[in-house]
Amino acid sequence: MSWTVKPSRTQEITKRTEPYLSEEAKAKYEKDLIPRYPERRGALLPILHDLQHHERCIPHQAMVEISQFLNITPGEVLDTVSFYEEFHVEPVGRHVVAVCQSVACEACGHAAVLDHLKDKLGIDEHETTADGKVTLLALECLGACEKAPCMLRNDELIGPLTPEQAARLVDELK
Amino acid sequence: MFLDEPVLTKNIPGCGPLQDTWGKAEDRTVTTGKTYRDRGGYATLENCLGMEPSAIIDEVKNAILRGRGGAGFPAGMKWTFLPPEDGQPRYLAINCDEAEPGTFKDRLLVDFDPHLVLEGIAIACWACKLDHAYFFIRGEYPSQAITMQRAIDEAYEMGVFGGTGLLGKCDFKVDCTLHRGAGAYICGEETGLLEAIEGRRGWPRLKPPFPAVKGLFGRPTIVNNVETLAAVVPIMQKGAAWWQGIGVESSIGGPPSYGTKLMGVSGHVEKPGVYEAPLGVSLKCLVEDYCGGMRGGKGFKAAIAGGASMGILSTDQYEAEMDFDIGRKYDLMGLGTACPTVFDEDTDMVAVARNLSRFFKNESCGQCTPCREGAQWMFKLLSRIEAGEADSNDLDMLLELAGSMGIMPGTTICGLADGHNWAVRTVVNKFRGEFEARVRPAKTALQGVALTSSANAI
Repeated sequence: MSWTVKPSRTQEITKRTEPYLSEEAKAKYEKDLIPRYPERRGALLPILHDLQHHERCIPHQAMVEISQFLNITPGEVLDTVSFYEEFHVEPVGRHVVAVCQSVACEACGHAAVLDHLKDKLGIDEHETTADGKVTLLALECLGACEKAPCMLRNDELIGPLTPEQAARLVDELK
Repeated sequence: MFLDEPVLTKNIPGCGPLQDTWGKAEDRTVTTGKTYRDRGGYATLENCLGMEPSAIIDEVKNAILRGRGGAGFPAGMKWTFLPPEDGQPRYLAINCDEAEPGTFKDRLLVDFDPHLVLEGIAIACWACKLDHAYFFIRGEYPSQAITMQRAIDEAYEMGVFGGTGLLGKCDFKVDCTLHRGAGAYICGEETGLLEAIEGRRGWPRLKPPFPAVKGLFGRPTIVNNVETLAAVVPIMQKGAAWWQGIGVESSIGGPPSYGTKLMGVSGHVEKPGVYEAPLGVSLKCLVEDYCGGMRGGKGFKAAIAGGASMGILSTDQYEAEMDFDIGRKYDLMGLGTACPTVFDEDTDMVAVARNLSRFFKNESCGQCTPCREGAQWMFKLLSRIEAGEADSNDLDMLLELAGSMGIMPGTTICGLADGHNWAVRTVVNKFRGEFEARVRPAKTALQGVALTSSANAI
């Protein structure tokens, strides 16, 4: 939700010496992404996806680096990052398990699946297990209503699920 | 009503009625570029390259191909809104955001026949002289994004895109870029989608100017749904007259509903899935002859007509015809994506309303106050009603709030709030008894500001 306001004036930003955008990555973006858009800024979402995939989050330092690469302000990058659900400022687990909670899935019993996973993992939705292995999400329609109740396990849409099947699918994750 | 043969699902088995011979859903595999071409694919594009672009637009216009993304605006007409060429780039944005609860039809095309969509894209780009197509796919479809990227790469290798020109047979070059969204329903709104491609937060833009005049990166842009573009291929192959032979005329003097439609049925049916049927097929036929009836032989109670925002069909509207008249005939916002979610007799309609409301609350982009604030209030009121903690005034307040937000009452920029409004209002109106049974009688009459009249004053 884009209107959630967080105090930023007192926020500590952790920094590391090694940049998030390596010269190699920048060269790749310059070659593959930038020419696809008439403005450099068009490459922002693809770059954020790439970073989210590799770092499991978009740290503030990375936002600054991206802003310099695309000639926009860090605030503009933060604006975009904070708007979209799939970009996280704090790292998500090595695996992301998202249970659909929209109308077809609820009608077909998503609550039992979600509750079972919460019990099993010992976390609430939108939390990550202490070992950093799994982040559990409850998301709006995943676009697989014929598979209700369904879940998105990393890149895979799976369903229809029983609570036990869902738990097994999470167990399989390494 | 049944089709004689599959049209959009020619390469996708298992999308026909139960007793048909259109194959089994288990046999679906992605149609590769080579297979697609071996089966006669891209021949329509080649024919189109020999035609005047304006003749293609006329053909699509004559077919009265109404947009398949939800609004039902005639695609050919939309194409004519482009200003004359000025030598600067013009764009096509393909809307594969498909985040509307209950909707999953475009996923089928991307999963199993991406080249049909790409051929439609190439034809549209040639007809409208668009230089670059951005295929916007929602973030929740990661494996579909991979499939689509592979298909785009194949199309480049086959010379459809890039190189010196379309199919290497003309001097008009088109590029195609896949652009992934990142989890925001609002990016399915055409101008929100443009913002997302530009790398901004997906806040819808004020219209006018419409995207056809000033869209992506400030340039003329056509925004079309995936299925709409896929439908352009059979129309150009077999002609507008053939397309008009499928579907129905309006029974209430409105514009006709021609052609075939992918209908994704979900909820309490035996065989949920995407089926290809002519527009005008009844919901009952869809459930019984395509999906094998209600799950466990239960009775039909209600169905969301075509995506959450369109509103709900009541128990006595089971035989509603799935065409563009549905809105006016059955008190809904419209046909939407024609993907019904069906509920059986055991369903709690208050819970359905609360679920729909939570969706719109979570997905409100926060730009317009009536939607941002109103959505929160509606969800809270519905949660209170569901928990049995509300009185009858709360029910009236809910309806008044719902009626005050959206483009129609003139208080928001985009239609998300209208979707929330229609979804909740139609459930409450059509199943009022269930809501009244959950609320206490109010001790005093509702006193306060008349929300709707103040909204009208804006």
